Amino acid sequence: MTMTSPTWPAPPGAAARVGGAALQVRGLRKSFAGRTVLDGLDLSLAPGEFLALLGANGSGKSTALRCVVGLERPDAGEILVHGRPADTAPPHRRMAMIFQQIHLVHRRTALDNVCAGALGRLPLRRSLTPLLFPRELREEAMVCLDRVGMAGRAAEPAGRLSGGQRQRVAIARALCQRAEIILADEPVSALDPAAAEQVVALLADLAHEQGLAVAAVLHQPDLARRHADRVTGLLHGRATLDTPAAALTAADLATLYAPDHQHHPDADQEHQ
Amino acid sequence: MSTSTGALPPDSRLTPPRRRPVTTVTAAVTVAVVLAHVLAWNGTEFSPAALVQGWRGMADFAGQALPPDLSWDGVLRPGLQAALVTLGIGLLGTTFSVPFALVLALLAARTTAPNRWAYQAARSVLSFLRAVPDVVFALVFVTAVGLGPFAGVLALIFHNTGVMGKLWAEAMEEIDLGPRDALRVGGASGVQAAAHAVLPAVLPQFVGLLLYRFDVNVRSSLVLGLVGAGGIGFLVNQSIKLFRFDEMVTHLAIVMVLVVAVDQLSAYVRRRVGG
Repeated sequence: MTMTSPTWPAPPGAAARVGGAALQVRGLRKSFAGRTVLDGLDLSLAPGEFLALLGANGSGKSTALRCVVGLERPDAGEILVHGRPADTAPPHRRMAMIFQQIHLVHRRTALDNVCAGALGRLPLRRSLTPLLFPRELREEAMVCLDRVGMAGRAAEPAGRLSGGQRQRVAIARALCQRAEIILADEPVSALDPAAAEQVVALLADLAHEQGLAVAAVLHQPDLARRHADRVTGLLHGRATLDTPAAALTAADLATLYAPDHQHHPDADQEHQ
Repeated sequence: MSTSTGALPPDSRLTPPRRRPVTTVTAAVTVAVVLAHVLAWNGTEFSPAALVQGWRGMADFAGQALPPDLSWDGVLRPGLQAALVTLGIGLLGTTFSVPFALVLALLAARTTAPNRWAYQAARSVLSFLRAVPDVVFALVFVTAVGLGPFAGVLALIFHNTGVMGKLWAEAMEEIDLGPRDALRVGGASGVQAAAHAVLPAVLPQFVGLLLYRFDVNVRSSLVLGLVGAGGIGFLVNQSIKLFRFDEMVTHLAIVMVLVVAVDQLSAYVRRRVGG
Protein backbone atom coordinates (compact mmCIF):
# COMPACT_ATOMS: atom_id res chain seq x y z
CA MET A 1 0.00 0.00 0.00
CA THR A 2 1.54 3.26 -1.08
CA MET A 3 -0.91 5.94 -0.15
CA THR A 4 1.27 8.25 1.86
CA SER A 5 -0.55 11.52 1.96
CA PRO A 6 1.70 14.57 1.89
CA THR A 7 -0.66 16.40 4.25
CA TRP A 8 -0.37 13.72 6.90
CA PRO A 9 0.76 15.26 10.21
CA ALA A 10 3.57 13.39 11.90
CA PRO A 11 2.77 12.51 15.52
CA PRO A 12 4.31 15.12 17.79
CA GLY A 13 7.74 14.19 18.98
CA ALA A 14 7.66 10.73 17.47
CA ALA A 15 11.22 10.92 16.21
CA ALA A 16 12.56 12.28 19.49
CA ARG A 17 11.24 9.29 21.39
CA VAL A 18 12.80 6.62 19.24
CA GLY A 19 14.96 4.53 21.51
CA GLY A 20 12.67 4.72 24.56
CA ALA A 21 9.87 2.18 24.72
CA ALA A 22 6.41 3.53 23.88
CA LEU A 23 4.85 0.79 25.95
CA GLN A 24 6.32 -1.41 28.61
CA VAL A 25 4.49 -4.14 30.48
CA ARG A 26 6.10 -5.80 33.45
CA GLY A 27 4.92 -8.75 35.49
CA LEU A 28 1.29 -8.55 34.37
CA ARG A 29 -0.95 -11.03 36.19
CA LYS A 30 -4.62 -11.73 35.71
CA SER A 31 -6.82 -14.63 36.63
CA PHE A 32 -10.50 -15.24 36.03
CA ALA A 33 -12.32 -17.34 38.62
CA GLY A 34 -9.15 -19.03 39.79
CA ARG A 35 -7.83 -19.73 36.28
CA THR A 36 -4.56 -17.95 35.68
CA VAL A 37 -4.55 -16.28 32.27
CA LEU A 38 -1.58 -13.95 32.64
CA ASP A 39 1.27 -15.26 34.73
CA GLY A 40 3.82 -12.48 34.96
CA LEU A 41 3.78 -11.23 31.38
CA ASP A 42 6.51 -8.86 30.15
CA LEU A 43 6.18 -6.93 26.89
CA SER A 44 7.84 -3.96 25.32
CA LEU A 45 7.00 -1.97 22.23
CA ALA A 46 9.03 0.80 20.65
CA PRO A 47 7.81 3.71 18.50
CA GLY A 48 8.08 2.81 14.83
CA GLU A 49 7.98 -0.88 15.62
CA PHE A 50 5.46 -3.46 14.44
CA LEU A 51 5.32 -6.26 16.98
CA ALA A 52 3.43 -9.50 16.32
CA LEU A 53 2.05 -11.41 19.28
CA LEU A 54 1.76 -15.11 18.64
CA GLY A 55 0.39 -17.84 20.84
CA ALA A 56 -2.24 -20.54 21.04
CA ASN A 57 -5.84 -19.85 22.05
CA GLY A 58 -5.94 -19.21 25.77
CA SER A 59 -2.30 -18.14 26.02
CA GLY A 60 -3.42 -14.71 27.24
CA LYS A 61 -2.83 -12.47 24.24
CA SER A 62 -6.23 -10.82 24.18
CA THR A 63 -6.39 -10.48 27.95
CA ALA A 64 -2.98 -8.82 27.92
CA LEU A 65 -4.11 -6.19 25.41
CA ARG A 66 -7.40 -5.64 27.23
CA CYS A 67 -5.48 -5.05 30.47
CA VAL A 68 -3.14 -2.60 28.79
CA VAL A 69 -5.96 -0.42 27.41
CA GLY A 70 -7.93 -0.61 30.63
CA LEU A 71 -10.81 -2.85 29.56
CA GLU A 72 -9.72 -5.37 32.18
CA ARG A 73 -8.11 -4.62 35.53
CA PRO A 74 -4.92 -6.64 36.02
CA ASP A 75 -4.36 -8.34 39.37
CA ALA A 76 -0.76 -7.21 39.44
CA GLY A 77 1.90 -5.73 37.20
CA GLU A 78 3.08 -2.47 35.74
CA ILE A 79 2.02 -0.78 32.52
CA LEU A 80 4.24 2.11 31.45
CA VAL A 81 3.39 4.43 28.56
CA HIS A 82 6.46 6.39 27.52
CA GLY A 83 7.95 5.51 30.87
CA ARG A 84 5.02 6.73 32.95
CA PRO A 85 2.41 4.54 34.63
CA ALA A 86 -0.58 4.23 32.33
CA ASP A 87 -3.09 5.13 35.03
CA THR A 88 -1.46 8.43 35.98
CA ALA A 89 -1.17 9.55 32.38
CA PRO A 90 -4.57 8.42 31.14
CA PRO A 91 -4.16 5.98 28.29
CA HIS A 92 -6.71 8.01 26.32
CA ARG A 93 -5.53 9.36 23.03
CA ARG A 94 -2.16 7.64 23.30
CA MET A 95 -3.59 4.17 22.82
CA ALA A 96 -6.19 2.82 20.45
CA MET A 97 -7.44 -0.72 20.16
CA ILE A 98 -8.41 -2.58 17.00
CA PHE A 99 -10.72 -5.54 17.49
CA GLN A 100 -11.36 -8.76 15.60
CA GLN A 101 -15.07 -7.88 15.72
CA ILE A 102 -14.13 -4.39 14.44
CA HIS A 103 -16.82 -2.67 16.53
CA LEU A 104 -17.88 0.14 14.27
CA VAL A 105 -21.36 1.59 14.57
CA HIS A 106 -23.00 0.09 11.50
CA ARG A 107 -25.75 2.65 11.11
CA ARG A 108 -23.31 5.56 11.00
CA THR A 109 -21.21 6.54 8.02
CA ALA A 110 -17.55 5.62 7.77
CA LEU A 111 -16.71 9.30 8.27
CA ASP A 112 -18.80 9.64 11.44
CA ASN A 113 -17.21 6.46 12.80
CA VAL A 114 -13.75 7.87 12.18
CA CYS A 115 -14.68 11.21 13.78
CA ALA A 116 -15.79 9.31 16.89
CA GLY A 117 -12.12 8.49 17.47
CA ALA A 118 -11.63 12.12 18.44
CA LEU A 119 -14.35 12.19 21.11
CA GLY A 120 -11.75 12.21 23.89
CA ARG A 121 -10.56 15.67 22.93
CA LEU A 122 -13.95 17.20 22.09
CA PRO A 123 -16.14 19.04 24.59
CA LEU A 124 -19.58 17.55 25.04
CA ARG A 125 -21.30 20.48 23.31
CA ARG A 126 -19.40 19.72 20.08
CA SER A 127 -19.86 15.98 20.29
CA LEU A 128 -23.38 15.14 21.41
CA THR A 129 -24.31 14.16 17.85
CA PRO A 130 -22.26 13.87 14.66
CA LEU A 131 -24.04 17.03 13.44
CA LEU A 132 -22.00 19.03 15.95
CA PHE A 133 -18.57 17.73 14.93
CA PRO A 134 -16.32 20.67 13.96
CA ARG A 135 -15.41 21.04 10.30
CA GLU A 136 -11.68 20.68 11.02
CA LEU A 137 -12.39 17.30 12.59
CA ARG A 138 -14.28 16.14 9.51
CA GLU A 139 -11.34 17.25 7.38
CA GLU A 140 -8.87 15.45 9.61
CA ALA A 141 -11.04 12.33 9.50
CA MET A 142 -11.02 12.47 5.69
CA VAL A 143 -7.22 12.53 5.75
CA CYS A 144 -7.27 9.49 8.04
CA LEU A 145 -9.70 7.68 5.72
CA ASP A 146 -7.48 8.56 2.78
CA ARG A 147 -4.49 7.13 4.64
CA VAL A 148 -6.22 3.74 4.83
CA GLY A 149 -7.51 3.98 1.26
CA MET A 150 -11.16 4.48 2.21
CA ALA A 151 -11.75 8.17 1.46
CA GLY A 152 -13.98 7.24 -1.46
CA ARG A 153 -16.42 5.40 0.82
CA ALA A 154 -16.62 8.09 3.52
CA ALA A 155 -20.36 8.70 3.13
CA GLU A 156 -21.40 5.04 3.27
CA PRO A 157 -22.82 3.46 6.42
CA ALA A 158 -20.16 1.24 7.98
CA GLY A 159 -22.57 -1.69 7.89
CA ARG A 160 -22.48 -1.68 4.11
CA LEU A 161 -18.70 -2.11 3.84
CA SER A 162 -16.87 -5.43 3.58
CA GLY A 163 -14.97 -6.83 6.55
CA GLY A 164 -11.59 -5.66 5.32
CA GLN A 165 -12.92 -2.20 4.51
CA ARG A 166 -14.50 -1.94 7.96
CA GLN A 167 -11.26 -2.91 9.63
CA ARG A 168 -9.45 -0.22 7.66
CA VAL A 169 -12.07 2.32 8.77
CA ALA A 170 -11.47 1.18 12.37
CA ILE A 171 -7.77 1.85 11.85
CA ALA A 172 -8.62 5.28 10.48
CA ARG A 173 -10.62 5.87 13.67
CA ALA A 174 -7.48 5.06 15.68
CA LEU A 175 -5.53 7.54 13.55
CA CYS A 176 -8.17 10.22 14.07
CA GLN A 177 -7.79 9.59 17.77
CA ARG A 178 -4.12 10.59 17.17
CA ALA A 179 -3.08 7.43 19.00
CA GLU A 180 0.64 6.82 19.26
CA ILE A 181 0.19 3.19 20.25
CA ILE A 182 -2.12 0.88 18.32
CA LEU A 183 -2.97 -2.49 19.84
CA ALA A 184 -4.75 -4.87 17.52
CA ASP A 185 -6.48 -7.97 18.89
CA GLU A 186 -6.66 -10.50 16.06
CA PRO A 187 -7.39 -7.73 13.54
CA VAL A 188 -7.50 -10.09 10.56
CA SER A 189 -8.85 -13.35 11.98
CA ALA A 190 -12.27 -12.76 10.41
CA LEU A 191 -10.94 -11.52 7.06
CA ASP A 192 -10.21 -13.30 3.80
CA PRO A 193 -6.50 -13.72 2.92
CA ALA A 194 -6.32 -10.75 0.54
CA ALA A 195 -8.03 -8.38 2.99
CA ALA A 196 -5.89 -9.75 5.83
CA GLU A 197 -2.73 -9.08 3.86
CA GLN A 198 -3.88 -5.52 3.12
CA VAL A 199 -4.75 -4.74 6.75
CA VAL A 200 -1.52 -6.17 8.18
CA ALA A 201 0.54 -4.33 5.56
CA LEU A 202 -1.28 -1.13 6.52
CA LEU A 203 -0.47 -1.64 10.21
CA ALA A 204 3.19 -2.22 9.29
CA ASP A 205 3.21 0.95 7.18
CA LEU A 206 1.79 3.00 10.04
CA ALA A 207 4.61 1.80 12.28
CA HIS A 208 7.37 2.27 9.74
CA GLU A 209 6.27 5.47 8.03
CA GLN A 210 4.59 7.36 10.84
CA GLY A 211 6.51 6.07 13.80
CA LEU A 212 3.49 4.58 15.56
CA ALA A 213 4.03 1.74 17.99
CA VAL A 214 1.91 -1.13 16.71
CA ALA A 215 1.31 -4.52 18.32
CA ALA A 216 -1.00 -7.06 16.72
CA VAL A 217 -2.17 -10.47 17.84
CA LEU A 218 -1.91 -12.64 14.74
CA HIS A 219 -2.85 -16.23 14.15
CA GLN A 220 -1.00 -16.54 10.86
CA PRO A 221 2.76 -16.85 11.58
CA ASP A 222 3.34 -16.28 7.89
CA LEU A 223 1.86 -12.76 8.06
CA ALA A 224 3.99 -12.04 11.11
CA ARG A 225 7.13 -13.23 9.35
CA ARG A 226 6.55 -11.06 6.31
CA HIS A 227 5.35 -7.84 7.94
CA ALA A 228 6.37 -7.66 11.60
CA ASP A 229 9.70 -6.45 12.92
CA ARG A 230 9.67 -8.57 16.01
CA VAL A 231 7.67 -11.48 17.36
CA THR A 232 6.75 -12.08 20.98
CA GLY A 233 5.36 -15.53 21.72
CA LEU A 234 3.00 -16.20 24.62
CA LEU A 235 2.62 -19.54 26.33
CA HIS A 236 0.41 -20.02 29.41
CA GLY A 237 0.34 -16.32 30.20
CA ARG A 238 4.04 -15.61 29.87
CA ALA A 239 6.22 -14.26 27.09
CA THR A 240 8.39 -17.23 26.28
CA LEU A 241 9.74 -16.08 22.95
CA ASP A 242 11.13 -12.78 21.74
CA THR A 243 12.80 -12.79 18.38
CA PRO A 244 13.19 -10.71 15.23
CA ALA A 245 10.41 -11.77 12.90
CA ALA A 246 12.88 -12.85 10.24
CA ALA A 247 14.49 -15.29 12.66
CA LEU A 248 11.24 -17.03 13.60
CA THR A 249 11.79 -20.79 13.22
CA ALA A 250 9.46 -23.71 12.75
CA ALA A 251 10.66 -25.06 16.09
CA ASP A 252 9.57 -21.83 17.81
CA LEU A 253 6.12 -22.19 16.33
CA ALA A 254 5.89 -25.85 17.26
CA THR A 255 6.57 -24.94 20.90
CA LEU A 256 4.02 -22.10 20.90
CA TYR A 257 1.28 -24.10 19.25
CA ALA A 258 1.96 -27.50 20.83
CA PRO A 259 -1.32 -29.32 21.40
CA ASP A 260 -2.25 -28.52 24.96
CA HIS A 261 -2.89 -31.61 27.04
CA GLN A 262 -2.77 -29.78 30.31
CA HIS A 263 -5.98 -29.23 32.19
CA HIS A 264 -7.26 -26.16 30.38
CA PRO A 265 -10.81 -27.24 29.65
CA ASP A 266 -11.90 -23.73 28.74
CA ALA A 267 -8.73 -22.63 27.04
CA ASP A 268 -10.68 -21.86 23.88
CA GLN A 269 -12.95 -19.41 25.61
CA GLU A 270 -10.53 -16.57 25.49
CA HIS A 271 -13.27 -14.26 24.25
CA GLN A 272 -16.05 -15.86 26.29
CA MET B 1 -21.71 -45.44 9.05
CA SER B 2 -19.41 -48.07 10.46
CA THR B 3 -20.27 -47.45 14.09
CA SER B 4 -22.73 -50.25 14.76
CA THR B 5 -22.33 -49.91 18.49
CA GLY B 6 -23.94 -53.27 19.20
CA ALA B 7 -20.90 -55.04 17.85
CA LEU B 8 -18.39 -53.01 19.85
CA PRO B 9 -17.18 -53.95 23.32
CA PRO B 10 -18.49 -51.57 26.01
CA ASP B 11 -16.19 -48.61 26.56
CA SER B 12 -16.69 -46.79 29.85
CA ARG B 13 -15.22 -43.54 28.46
CA LEU B 14 -18.01 -43.31 25.92
CA THR B 15 -20.91 -43.80 28.29
CA PRO B 16 -23.03 -40.65 27.92
CA PRO B 17 -23.10 -38.59 31.12
CA ARG B 18 -26.26 -39.28 33.07
CA ARG B 19 -29.00 -36.68 32.94
CA ARG B 20 -30.08 -34.93 36.07
CA PRO B 21 -33.16 -36.61 37.55
CA VAL B 22 -36.03 -34.23 36.83
CA THR B 23 -39.05 -36.35 37.69
CA THR B 24 -39.49 -35.14 41.30
CA VAL B 25 -39.01 -31.50 40.31
CA THR B 26 -41.48 -31.82 37.45
CA ALA B 27 -44.04 -33.44 39.73
CA ALA B 28 -43.64 -30.79 42.41
CA VAL B 29 -44.02 -27.96 39.88
CA THR B 30 -47.11 -29.60 38.39
CA VAL B 31 -48.77 -29.94 41.80
CA ALA B 32 -47.90 -26.33 42.69
CA VAL B 33 -49.34 -24.98 39.41
CA VAL B 34 -52.58 -26.96 39.78
CA LEU B 35 -52.91 -25.85 43.40
CA ALA B 36 -52.43 -22.21 42.39
CA HIS B 37 -55.29 -22.52 39.89
CA VAL B 38 -57.62 -24.09 42.48
CA LEU B 39 -56.88 -21.31 44.94
CA ALA B 40 -57.43 -18.69 42.25
CA TRP B 41 -60.77 -20.31 41.24
CA ASN B 42 -62.01 -19.97 44.83
CA GLY B 43 -60.48 -16.53 45.35
CA THR B 44 -62.17 -15.00 42.29
CA GLU B 45 -65.52 -16.69 42.98
CA PHE B 46 -65.30 -18.17 39.52
CA SER B 47 -68.77 -19.53 38.71
CA PRO B 48 -69.99 -20.61 35.26
CA ALA B 49 -73.41 -21.26 36.87
CA ALA B 50 -73.84 -17.59 37.73
CA LEU B 51 -73.06 -16.67 34.15
CA VAL B 52 -75.74 -19.06 32.83
CA GLN B 53 -78.31 -17.85 35.32
CA GLY B 54 -77.61 -14.24 34.39
CA TRP B 55 -78.38 -14.68 30.67
CA ARG B 56 -81.61 -12.72 31.03
CA GLY B 57 -79.73 -9.60 32.15
CA MET B 58 -77.43 -9.94 29.18
CA ALA B 59 -80.39 -10.27 26.83
CA ASP B 60 -82.04 -7.15 28.27
CA PHE B 61 -78.81 -5.27 27.83
CA ALA B 62 -78.51 -6.35 24.22
CA GLY B 63 -82.15 -5.38 23.59
CA GLN B 64 -81.51 -1.84 24.78
CA ALA B 65 -78.15 -1.55 23.04
CA LEU B 66 -79.34 -2.57 19.59
CA PRO B 67 -79.80 -1.00 17.19
CA PRO B 68 -77.04 1.55 17.94
CA ASP B 69 -77.94 5.22 17.96
CA LEU B 70 -76.26 6.63 14.87
CA SER B 71 -77.68 10.16 14.92
CA TRP B 72 -74.99 12.48 13.59
CA ASP B 73 -75.44 15.55 15.77
CA GLY B 74 -76.40 13.76 18.97
CA VAL B 75 -73.95 10.85 19.01
CA LEU B 76 -71.64 10.37 16.04
CA ARG B 77 -70.13 13.84 15.79
CA PRO B 78 -69.40 14.26 19.50
CA GLY B 79 -68.10 10.69 19.51
CA LEU B 80 -65.67 11.32 16.68
CA GLN B 81 -64.51 14.59 18.26
CA ALA B 82 -63.93 12.81 21.56
CA ALA B 83 -62.04 10.05 19.74
CA LEU B 84 -59.68 12.72 18.39
CA VAL B 85 -59.16 14.00 21.92
CA THR B 86 -58.37 10.43 23.04
CA LEU B 87 -55.85 10.13 20.23
CA GLY B 88 -54.36 13.46 21.35
CA ILE B 89 -54.06 12.28 24.96
CA GLY B 90 -52.20 9.16 23.80
CA LEU B 91 -49.97 11.17 21.47
CA LEU B 92 -48.91 13.87 23.96
CA GLY B 93 -48.69 11.36 26.82
CA THR B 94 -46.25 9.31 24.74
CA THR B 95 -44.21 12.14 23.24
CA PHE B 96 -43.76 14.16 26.40
CA SER B 97 -42.58 11.10 28.31
CA VAL B 98 -39.70 10.59 25.83
CA PRO B 99 -37.13 12.94 27.44
CA PHE B 100 -37.80 11.64 30.95
CA ALA B 101 -37.78 8.01 29.81
CA LEU B 102 -34.53 8.56 27.89
CA VAL B 103 -32.64 10.08 30.81
CA LEU B 104 -33.91 7.47 33.26
CA ALA B 105 -33.21 4.63 30.81
CA LEU B 106 -29.61 5.79 30.32
CA LEU B 107 -29.13 5.84 34.10
CA ALA B 108 -30.93 2.52 34.56
CA ALA B 109 -29.05 0.48 31.94
CA ARG B 110 -25.90 -1.26 33.15
CA THR B 111 -24.25 -0.41 29.82
CA THR B 112 -24.59 3.35 30.31
CA ALA B 113 -25.11 3.94 34.06
CA PRO B 114 -22.38 6.19 35.49
CA ASN B 115 -22.31 4.34 38.82
CA ARG B 116 -24.21 1.83 40.97
CA TRP B 117 -25.92 4.52 43.00
CA ALA B 118 -27.45 6.27 40.00
CA TYR B 119 -28.39 2.89 38.55
CA GLN B 120 -30.29 1.82 41.67
CA ALA B 121 -31.96 5.22 42.05
CA ALA B 122 -33.13 5.29 38.43
CA ARG B 123 -34.37 1.70 38.65
CA SER B 124 -36.39 2.59 41.76
CA VAL B 125 -37.98 5.64 40.14
CA LEU B 126 -38.90 3.59 37.06
CA SER B 127 -40.33 0.79 39.22
CA PHE B 128 -42.48 3.27 41.13
CA LEU B 129 -43.82 4.96 37.99
CA ARG B 130 -44.56 1.57 36.48
CA ALA B 131 -46.17 0.17 39.62
CA VAL B 132 -48.70 3.00 39.95
CA PRO B 133 -51.39 2.37 37.30
CA ASP B 134 -52.15 5.22 34.92
CA VAL B 135 -55.74 5.27 36.20
CA VAL B 136 -54.48 6.07 39.68
CA PHE B 137 -52.26 8.84 38.30
CA ALA B 138 -55.32 10.14 36.43
CA LEU B 139 -57.41 10.24 39.62
CA VAL B 140 -54.62 12.16 41.34
CA PHE B 141 -54.28 14.67 38.51
CA VAL B 142 -58.04 15.11 38.14
CA THR B 143 -58.04 16.45 41.69
CA ALA B 144 -55.08 18.68 40.81
CA VAL B 145 -56.03 20.15 37.40
CA GLY B 146 -59.72 19.26 37.30
CA LEU B 147 -61.77 16.96 35.06
CA GLY B 148 -60.62 16.84 31.46
CA PRO B 149 -58.08 15.52 29.01
CA PHE B 150 -55.10 17.41 30.49
CA ALA B 151 -55.22 15.19 33.58
CA GLY B 152 -55.12 12.20 31.23
CA VAL B 153 -52.03 13.52 29.44
CA LEU B 154 -50.23 14.04 32.76
CA ALA B 155 -51.18 10.56 33.95
CA LEU B 156 -49.84 8.96 30.77
CA ILE B 157 -46.59 10.95 30.91
CA PHE B 158 -45.90 9.60 34.39
CA HIS B 159 -46.88 6.00 33.83
CA ASN B 160 -45.40 5.75 30.35
CA THR B 161 -42.07 7.16 31.55
CA GLY B 162 -41.86 4.20 33.89
CA VAL B 163 -42.76 1.56 31.32
CA MET B 164 -40.85 2.95 28.35
CA GLY B 165 -37.79 3.79 30.47
CA LYS B 166 -37.64 0.17 31.59
CA LEU B 167 -38.10 -1.20 28.08
CA TRP B 168 -35.45 1.14 26.66
CA ALA B 169 -33.00 0.34 29.46
CA GLU B 170 -33.43 -3.34 28.72
CA ALA B 171 -32.87 -2.77 25.00
CA MET B 172 -29.61 -0.99 25.82
CA GLU B 173 -28.47 -3.78 28.11
CA GLU B 174 -28.81 -6.32 25.33
CA ILE B 175 -26.52 -4.71 22.77
CA ASP B 176 -22.97 -5.70 21.90
CA LEU B 177 -20.69 -3.61 24.10
CA GLY B 178 -17.76 -3.70 21.69
CA PRO B 179 -18.36 -0.35 19.97
CA ARG B 180 -18.80 1.33 23.35
CA ASP B 181 -15.55 -0.19 24.64
CA ALA B 182 -13.72 0.85 21.48
CA LEU B 183 -14.73 4.49 22.07
CA ARG B 184 -14.01 4.34 25.82
CA VAL B 185 -10.48 3.09 25.08
CA GLY B 186 -10.04 6.12 22.85
CA GLY B 187 -10.94 8.46 25.69
CA ALA B 188 -14.65 9.09 25.09
CA SER B 189 -16.67 9.91 28.19
CA GLY B 190 -19.63 7.82 29.28
CA VAL B 191 -22.14 10.26 27.78
CA GLN B 192 -20.18 10.44 24.52
CA ALA B 193 -19.96 6.66 24.28
CA ALA B 194 -23.71 6.43 24.91
CA ALA B 195 -24.42 9.03 22.22
CA HIS B 196 -22.10 7.55 19.61
CA ALA B 197 -22.12 3.80 20.24
CA VAL B 198 -25.10 2.74 22.36
CA LEU B 199 -27.94 4.96 21.11
CA PRO B 200 -27.27 4.50 17.37
CA ALA B 201 -27.29 0.74 17.92
CA VAL B 202 -30.65 0.71 19.73
CA LEU B 203 -32.43 3.39 17.70
CA PRO B 204 -34.60 0.94 15.72
CA GLN B 205 -35.69 -0.85 18.91
CA PHE B 206 -36.36 2.50 20.58
CA VAL B 207 -38.62 3.62 17.73
CA GLY B 208 -40.40 0.26 17.71
CA LEU B 209 -41.03 0.39 21.46
CA LEU B 210 -42.15 4.02 21.22
CA LEU B 211 -44.78 3.12 18.61
CA TYR B 212 -45.87 0.12 20.62
CA ARG B 213 -46.32 2.35 23.67
CA PHE B 214 -48.26 4.90 21.59
CA ASP B 215 -50.60 2.11 20.61
CA VAL B 216 -50.99 1.00 24.24
CA ASN B 217 -51.38 4.58 25.47
CA VAL B 218 -54.22 5.37 23.08
CA ARG B 219 -56.03 2.35 24.48
CA SER B 220 -55.19 3.40 28.06
CA SER B 221 -56.51 6.88 27.47
CA LEU B 222 -59.96 5.31 26.86
CA VAL B 223 -59.86 3.92 30.37
CA LEU B 224 -58.62 7.26 31.69
CA GLY B 225 -61.76 8.81 30.21
CA LEU B 226 -63.81 6.54 32.43
CA VAL B 227 -62.39 8.27 35.52
CA GLY B 228 -63.05 11.73 34.13
CA ALA B 229 -59.86 12.44 32.20
CA GLY B 230 -61.60 13.36 28.94
CA GLY B 231 -61.85 11.73 25.54
CA ILE B 232 -64.26 9.13 24.26
CA GLY B 233 -63.89 7.02 27.41
CA PHE B 234 -65.67 9.84 29.21
CA LEU B 235 -68.60 9.61 26.74
CA VAL B 236 -68.78 5.81 27.15
CA ASN B 237 -68.97 6.28 30.90
CA GLN B 238 -71.70 8.92 30.52
CA SER B 239 -73.82 6.70 28.27
CA ILE B 240 -73.60 3.85 30.78
CA LYS B 241 -74.64 6.12 33.66
CA LEU B 242 -77.62 7.42 31.64
CA PHE B 243 -78.58 3.86 30.55
CA ARG B 244 -78.18 5.00 26.90
CA PHE B 245 -76.72 1.66 25.80
CA ASP B 246 -77.54 2.36 22.12
CA GLU B 247 -75.28 5.44 22.35
CA MET B 248 -72.64 3.42 24.13
CA VAL B 249 -72.50 0.84 21.34
CA THR B 250 -71.86 3.60 18.80
CA HIS B 251 -69.07 4.99 20.94
CA LEU B 252 -67.57 1.53 21.34
CA ALA B 253 -67.66 1.05 17.57
CA ILE B 254 -65.74 4.31 17.15
CA VAL B 255 -63.27 3.10 19.80
CA MET B 256 -62.80 -0.13 17.90
CA VAL B 257 -62.07 1.67 14.63
CA LEU B 258 -59.64 3.99 16.41
CA VAL B 259 -57.79 1.18 18.15
CA VAL B 260 -57.51 -0.93 15.00
CA ALA B 261 -56.32 2.09 12.98
CA VAL B 262 -53.62 3.02 15.52
CA ASP B 263 -52.56 -0.60 15.84
CA GLN B 264 -52.22 -1.00 12.07
CA LEU B 265 -50.37 2.28 11.70
CA SER B 266 -47.93 1.45 14.48
CA ALA B 267 -47.34 -2.06 13.12
CA TYR B 268 -46.74 -0.67 9.63
CA VAL B 269 -44.22 1.91 10.81
CA ARG B 270 -42.47 -0.63 13.04
CA ARG B 271 -42.07 -2.95 10.06
CA ARG B 272 -40.56 -0.14 8.03
CA VAL B 273 -38.13 0.83 10.78
CA GLY B 274 -37.16 -2.78 11.32
CA GLY B 275 -37.54 -2.62 15.10
